Amino acid sequence: MESQQGEGGTELDSQSSIWVNTGGNKMAALTTGFGRARQGGAGDPREYKAETAAGGDKLGGGGGGGDRGCSFLRKVSVPGSGGGGGGGGGARLRSIAGTRPSVQNGQLLVSAGLPALDQLLGGGLAVGTLLLIEEDKYNIYSSLIFKYFLAEGIVCGHTLLVASAKEDPGDILQELPEPLHDDNYKKVLDEGRSHKSQEEPEISMKIAWRYQNLPQMEAGPGTSSRFGHYYDVSKRMSQEVIQSAKWHKFFLPEEITSYANVESCALNHGYTKLLHFIQRVISEQGFDGSNPQKKQKNILRIGIQSLGSPLWGDDICCADTPEHMHSLTRFLYVLRGLLRMSLSACIITVPSHLIQNKAVTSRIRNLSDTVVGLESFIGSEKEANSLYKDYHGLIHIHQIPRLNSLICDVSDTKDLAFKLQRKVFTIEEIKTSNSQSPIFSHGYHIALCSLCGPLNKFIKRIFVF
Amino acid sequence: MLQILASRGDLVLLRDSVEWEGRSLLKALIREVALKGEQVQVLGCEVSEEVFREGLDSDTNSRLVYHDVFRDPQGWTGNWGPLGILRACLRGAEPGPCTLAVDSLSWLLLHAPCSALCQTLRALGHDNSHPGRVRVLGLLHEDVHGPGPLGALRSLAQIEVTVGGNLGFTTAQVFHPKPRHRSIEQTYWFSILPNFSLEFHKETLLEPRPHRGPQSPTVDAMADLTFNVHLSKKEREARDTLALPFHFSSEKQQSLLHPALASSTSQIFYEPDADDYLDQEDPDDDLDI
Repeated sequence: MESQQGEGGTELDSQSSIWVNTGGNKMAALTTGFGRARQGGAGDPREYKAETAAGGDKLGGGGGGGDRGCSFLRKVSVPGSGGGGGGGGGARLRSIAGTRPSVQNGQLLVSAGLPALDQLLGGGLAVGTLLLIEEDKYNIYSSLIFKYFLAEGIVCGHTLLVASAKEDPGDILQELPEPLHDDNYKKVLDEGRSHKSQEEPEISMKIAWRYQNLPQMEAGPGTSSRFGHYYDVSKRMSQEVIQSAKWHKFFLPEEITSYANVESCALNHGYTKLLHFIQRVISEQGFDGSNPQKKQKNILRIGIQSLGSPLWGDDICCADTPEHMHSLTRFLYVLRGLLRMSLSACIITVPSHLIQNKAVTSRIRNLSDTVVGLESFIGSEKEANSLYKDYHGLIHIHQIPRLNSLICDVSDTKDLAFKLQRKVFTIEEIKTSNSQSPIFSHGYHIALCSLCGPLNKFIKRIFVF
Repeated sequence: MLQILASRGDLVLLRDSVEWEGRSLLKALIREVALKGEQVQVLGCEVSEEVFREGLDSDTNSRLVYHDVFRDPQGWTGNWGPLGILRACLRGAEPGPCTLAVDSLSWLLLHAPCSALCQTLRALGHDNSHPGRVRVLGLLHEDVHGPGPLGALRSLAQIEVTVGGNLGFTTAQVFHPKPRHRSIEQTYWFSILPNFSLEFHKETLLEPRPHRGPQSPTVDAMADLTFNVHLSKKEREARDTLALPFHFSSEKQQSLLHPALASSTSQIFYEPDADDYLDQEDPDDDLDI
């Protein structure tokens, strides 16, 4: 194989297999087929006489090399970015603050505000999807997760849209938790863990000693890139931060002033107004790409509280045979369409413990992308169970979406419980004092992940490509 | 009991049933509030005004502002339905802390859609002319309704009082859910005197109890297993001293290096077969070690 190096380019002979460009940029590419590419340095006009094996592969990027005949190169569409073959979402979307591409399927993810919940949902919440939280009985912990989501939006600089029928959205924003810095978080977490460690001494493992130092559920700050943030629930977010955030509000009693039963046959009056409002915000602020001159792309975080409760004018929670059973399901269908065509992520809390008709509950779950259910122990007989004495409730991950892939990253353990300490909200697996099962489950989890990764990519290339 | 009811901006749900009625407790609470000098708005739907005012002393009666729906349940004389009257209750009230007693929410539920009632109650509690100082006491007959409307009203209420009775005394179980195991659940034993004052009894043991039913013994997940989960001390010691198979300990090393001598049981007897080819030459002899 002959290769001749110019100042920043290479010349590739035919029938060569591997070449390395060691000029200005270092990149290795595997090529198949025949081709000849000649490149100069940046700024020289490029001329190629190449026969492409797979048609339509375009090259971009100043100086980013690649052979025309290669079908495994990713499409790079932004000139001058220099990051040829970057993340699956494309180089320009990566520049939105507070997002990152998923390692499983390349979707753009935003954090849900709780790093433990992000881990359970497969890295985060995908942009354009809907997170449904089935409320616990007195709506104490689900409103906390709702506030975490909004607080994360403010910290990342996203635009918020808060809709509620019960509380004024301004009051909701006043109650957001305060973000913690890295060193503070370690102290706070150790406070919480010190109570536990006094009860059970750490059992050092003799057989599986390599797994002893694995993190339990959530990674501490600093282990990965700055994706999720940590919050202190006992303090409120400061006023300057809240005021610097950009947000839109929808408060139902202010929007609907007359209490007459004005309902269109398809949708509840309140739902129709909310959908119009969301659609207006998306198109006016350019979240759906309708303003191409917009210099900086941003994410819209939508939060709707207690949807389907009687305060929205819907009766699926109050009646056994509701009159407008399809109102909420139609709303979710239209909302998901709005989300898919814009750069937004939405969280909805639904009091599904009040819905009597189980068919409606399963329809609502099918229409959402990610479904998380909370079950608190307040006032229930589970409070007396010794297995649950350290926790405040159970958390059930009912559904995780399979976006552009055949497999989703479902956590292998189904016994998850949450606990609200004074400052943090933690999610853990339920451990009995004698069992070492969390360690084993971690081992299986790692094995499964390493298997699913390449398998996932393989399937994606064959079926979806 | 009344200090719990002292919080404002709340919906307090008084749930009674066929076994024990709750209207007398409602009147007793109204009397307590009126004795503090507050005005009480009453929406009476189920009994007539005379029956309601009966038994209350004149001080209380003077502070009661009664809105009567019982006389005209269908609203033929006025233009407002029952919900309209509910909303209008607070319009004539003097500014300041205000209490609204609804005689019964069950009657309103039967005559108005549940979602509209919930919206109205929420709007009342957050009325702009009395910001954060309206308290709504609602009487609800829980056996009249299905789990749907009952659950909807319970989720709207901040405090629930369940009225019951036992041995001639009235009990009230007060439940106020709060996060982190800090919910307030207390049971009060009292009797209501003919003038609707409350007399608390010494059986008022303010112990927090589980809200549902009698106290069940704590379930031990480790009991009734068919296998032994716990280790005795001797067993634990034996486990600790057990040599693991893949640990290359020094004893094993010694036993490999120096084969045991008195091993009459471990000799190998070999009888060569006719087909076996025994090569006397050892190929390792060529090695030069």
